[in-house]
Amino acid sequence: MERRLPAQTTLFRDALRRLFRNKLAIIGMVILGLFVFCALFAPWIAPYDPIAQDVTRRREPPSREHPFGMDEVGRDLLSRVIYGARVSLYVGVASVSLAIIAGTLIGAVSGYAGGWVDNVVMRIMDIMLAFPSLLLAIAIVAILGPGLLNMLYAIAFVSIPAYARIVRASVLAAKEMDYTLAARAIGCSSSRILFRHIMPNCLTPIIVQGTLGIATAILDAAGLSFLGLGAQPPTPEWGAMLGQGRGSVFTAPHVVIFPGLAIMLSVLGFNLLGDGLRDALDPRLRM
Amino acid sequence: MIRYIAQRLVMLIPVLIGISIVTFSLLRFIPGDPARVMLGEHATAEQVAEFRKRMGLDDPLPIQYIRYLGRIIRGDLGRAIRTNELVTTELAQRLPATVELTLGAMFVACLFGITAGIIAAYYHNSLFDLITMVGALIGVSMPVFWLGLILMYIFGFKLKWLPPSGRITPGIPMPTIPEVYNIHLTGPMGEKVMWLLNFLSNFYILNSLVTGNWVALVDCLKHLILPSIALGTIPMSIIARMTRSSLLEVLHQDYIRTARAKGLRERAVIFRHALKNAFLPVITVIGLELGYLLAGAILTETIFSWPGMGRLVVDRILARDYPAVQGSVLVIAVLFVFINLAVDISYAYLDPRIRYE
Repeated sequence: MERRLPAQTTLFRDALRRLFRNKLAIIGMVILGLFVFCALFAPWIAPYDPIAQDVTRRREPPSREHPFGMDEVGRDLLSRVIYGARVSLYVGVASVSLAIIAGTLIGAVSGYAGGWVDNVVMRIMDIMLAFPSLLLAIAIVAILGPGLLNMLYAIAFVSIPAYARIVRASVLAAKEMDYTLAARAIGCSSSRILFRHIMPNCLTPIIVQGTLGIATAILDAAGLSFLGLGAQPPTPEWGAMLGQGRGSVFTAPHVVIFPGLAIMLSVLGFNLLGDGLRDALDPRLRM
Repeated sequence: MIRYIAQRLVMLIPVLIGISIVTFSLLRFIPGDPARVMLGEHATAEQVAEFRKRMGLDDPLPIQYIRYLGRIIRGDLGRAIRTNELVTTELAQRLPATVELTLGAMFVACLFGITAGIIAAYYHNSLFDLITMVGALIGVSMPVFWLGLILMYIFGFKLKWLPPSGRITPGIPMPTIPEVYNIHLTGPMGEKVMWLLNFLSNFYILNSLVTGNWVALVDCLKHLILPSIALGTIPMSIIARMTRSSLLEVLHQDYIRTARAKGLRERAVIFRHALKNAFLPVITVIGLELGYLLAGAILTETIFSWPGMGRLVVDRILARDYPAVQGSVLVIAVLFVFINLAVDISYAYLDPRIRYE
């Protein structure tokens, strides 16, 4: 007869329970939920076309008709902020995903192979870390040329070392574990050991770093677009909106207030969620 | 300690070489012919050929790199294409502005961050603690350029308390140190001293202090306040969090209980016993943030029309003036590396365990 074990608490479920007990993390999730909703349903909830201009109503202050007012060329700001969620979340998530994929591969191979491969790869990562990340991203965009995609690649590229280092450290630790030895003893191939036995152990720090990384990526992307190096007009990107509207800051402050608030809130959301995830997944790291 | 410093300096060499390779590649990775990109679409074939020859773009890459390396070791960063000025001259004018802004921001960050962190830790779980922590969370999520614009609008435009942008009010004289003290030196050594004095004169606050130019000093400090707050907000929040968590940890240690038990005054317990140990991680954070401020200054300088290196980089990128970009990126990266080195060394000095790892 099969014996029933008591209701299982997986590591994952345990972490989720801790996460949902964390008030700040919940606030973060609510904020992010709002932005994700805006991003997904932008065409249905945005009251106007985000790039349609009405030059007769330039810089109009907020009104019932246009709750966030009009921008410097007469576009509805609320609609642009809503559509902006798409661009910012896309850049944040896509650049971090690219960085995680590349960083994980580099870190895993480097840590598992060891020896000169490890040495060379890690020195290259050190050199990348020798540049302030925003400066390196700016330099890369300077080479590739301004634009949304090039900015995304630049931000992804400069984030690689962070993930490579995390994964390498986890791989180095896991390589010495008994279960890795056991896997090798029963004849598992290197790639199987690496991806089935070692990599799952790196997930926790990657998830935490990734969530916090999206916050940084959104900030950096907004900064680059603000400088005119990222999203190009008329793309409704928050940083670009600030950059184009900053000339009107004294005459029509609403043009810069709302896109900036959106940047701050979305970054705050990811920071709160990231902190919450860190506390839930690895209580030892609690600050 | 000396051995540790020597070790760290040796480890720096590959990183510096790496940085030089990256900045060298900046120019070679531009899609298309860099000469044509830099000269613009209207350049004739002869102009392009002449330019390629002048810049040595026709030689094999390794030779170009070695020549580049030789030049930067001698301190020659080339000439900016648009202005035809030496890149080093431009940087020497711009660097002091960025350093002043960075130090101003760090001062703001330390003053408010450390104070708030200490109070929050001491009154753990109080309303002040909560406000500080929520404030710090919002602070780390703050887009610097947005905060800058808002500060400019409120304090520079609405309240008119502070100048909204720039580094000094136009019209206020800022004579250089050699001008004020009538210093004229000649000869190869004298020229170097003159260059150094003129360079130091570009640090406006230092200059106005040395020359007793009080009107300019007050004006410069007023100009410095808003950009320093904007740039300092993120490090301030990080420092506040770090001070709080580190002090909280220390306050639970046995030796704090001992200090209290033997009847020391509370002030002595906090400042003499607790803070001394709590400060180690805070100092690391301060050092790391100092490096990041250099890069963060790029955005702040753009907002406040601050004539620093960050704005130079952006302006030159938009103008496709790559030698100038190359030079600025190189200088910022090298500064960043040396700041990090200084942090590591000071940390090793403060915590002897690190030296023996």
